[in-house]
Amino acid sequence: MNIIQQDLSQAAHAPLQRREMLKLSGLSAGYGPMRVIHDLDLIVSSGERIGIVGLNGHGKSTLFYAIAGLTGWQRGSIKLNGLEIGRTRSQGPGRYTHQIVRAGLALIPQGDEIFHGLTVEEHLDSGAFTPRSWRERQERKERILQIFPPLKKLMAVPVGRLSGGERRMVSIGRGLMGEASLFLVDEPSLGLAPKIGKNVIDALMALDLGSSAMVIAEQNVSLLEGRVDRILGMHVGKLKGEASAALMLHDHGRA
Amino acid sequence: MDVWFVISNTIVLACIYGTLAIGVSITWSSLGFLNLAYGFIFAFSGYGAWLFAQHVSTFGPAVLACGILSGALGGVFVCALAFIPIHDKPNFTIRGLIATLAINLIGTQSLLWWFGPRSKNLPEIFGTWKLSFSGVTLTADRVGNVITSVLMLLLVLRWMRSSRRGLEIRAMMMNPHAASIVGIGVRRTSFYVMAITGALAGLAAVLLSQTYYISPFGGLTPMIKAVSIALCGGLGSVQGAVIAAVVLGLNEALTTVSIGGRYVLITQFLMIILILLVRPRGIAGILDRAREA
Repeated sequence: MNIIQQDLSQAAHAPLQRREMLKLSGLSAGYGPMRVIHDLDLIVSSGERIGIVGLNGHGKSTLFYAIAGLTGWQRGSIKLNGLEIGRTRSQGPGRYTHQIVRAGLALIPQGDEIFHGLTVEEHLDSGAFTPRSWRERQERKERILQIFPPLKKLMAVPVGRLSGGERRMVSIGRGLMGEASLFLVDEPSLGLAPKIGKNVIDALMALDLGSSAMVIAEQNVSLLEGRVDRILGMHVGKLKGEASAALMLHDHGRA
Repeated sequence: MDVWFVISNTIVLACIYGTLAIGVSITWSSLGFLNLAYGFIFAFSGYGAWLFAQHVSTFGPAVLACGILSGALGGVFVCALAFIPIHDKPNFTIRGLIATLAINLIGTQSLLWWFGPRSKNLPEIFGTWKLSFSGVTLTADRVGNVITSVLMLLLVLRWMRSSRRGLEIRAMMMNPHAASIVGIGVRRTSFYVMAITGALAGLAAVLLSQTYYISPFGGLTPMIKAVSIALCGGLGSVQGAVIAAVVLGLNEALTTVSIGGRYVLITQFLMIILILLVRPRGIAGILDRAREA
């Protein structure tokens, strides 16, 4: 833990410029005997928005989980803001996740992963885990309410009673509460009515990233087309290079 | 049958068992850990309070505080020994059960070896005064028991509602997987949980010592009752544990006055089986998807 903290303070002093926010090299990950991610390489620079598209079961979520240390096993190098957070491990999923999150990762998982009994406000608070973001949590909550105005009226309501779209807002808002340098957003439009899904994506696009970076996994290419810096295709655990949206559509036979 | 006797007994027992059961319940739902070393923590804090009363002071509140502190210490000890090394290993639930059971056996034997088989008794921490109105007499230890346990529970619940650590614990109780995603460390939070629940056991130990004695194996029955009350109330639910504690406290008081104290465990388990037949998830059992998957 100390190593991570030291490296983190060094990283904080680095000059603010376009740098590699996330660098994966030779990353493999999976669960038990199953290997989901195969020797994957990826570089995401600061200020960049990247879309990862691919069908169900091709490893988009597992890639995000591997970066967060939540898969059953993994090996290969993961550098978050210059700091090595990947390690070869075969057990203990989630054991280091909180340290990785503290090092600047915000994972907004698929299916929201909410705390059904906490109110919206407590939920947002729970996203503010670093001492600084905890002190500034009032201002941060204000900022999130500006992004998602419908949450204003729901602050005291338990999240279990919210609709799917509202839950997604809470889940994304929770991810935005901390001081992340990398946002991983897993299928933000999944299970939502098309219009609401589009609103959620709009909110993500309108967000000022500053020096941080964002990776969005989506199945619906048209939602990301022309709005992110790069779109990568994912197929059976491998990234299929940069693909333009039109090409992806063609690949999927929808054009 | 004296109605007032039954009612006051019910309340006193419900307070003490409720305190213990809430501890079991919180540990289970936040850490996924059924702490069978609870009986050892219970006895350990009783002896802690006894040592304090023997060597330092017999001032009631200080003895009580010392019991609570030794309980918290015992909780941290069990956490470091039985939870931290195995919590992310395969088959953790069963391993944890065996590890805590082992600590319980070794711990109680060590207490027996160290302090001897003779039971100890604590000074009367609430004094010897009596309240009596309209024919009902309430002794100091009963009134004190109820007030302190309710106060302590309110304090713990308030802390869990309003503080940041409390928020972390509640988040972990609801969805451990999501908790790690938002940066809550299981290991650190587990120490808070175990300290708090250990403190609750310590409180119950000192309170129960006002009626019974402190002995190495004295924690066994309260632990069995606490685990079954927690189960009955629905593991993970504080309200459920309180309701179950009242129901089973009433059962114990009624059994004692009607057919005799030695049948208490029998009627209690019949009652628990009945409740679980009607509501398999316990009185307020929530659908605990995170753990059943």
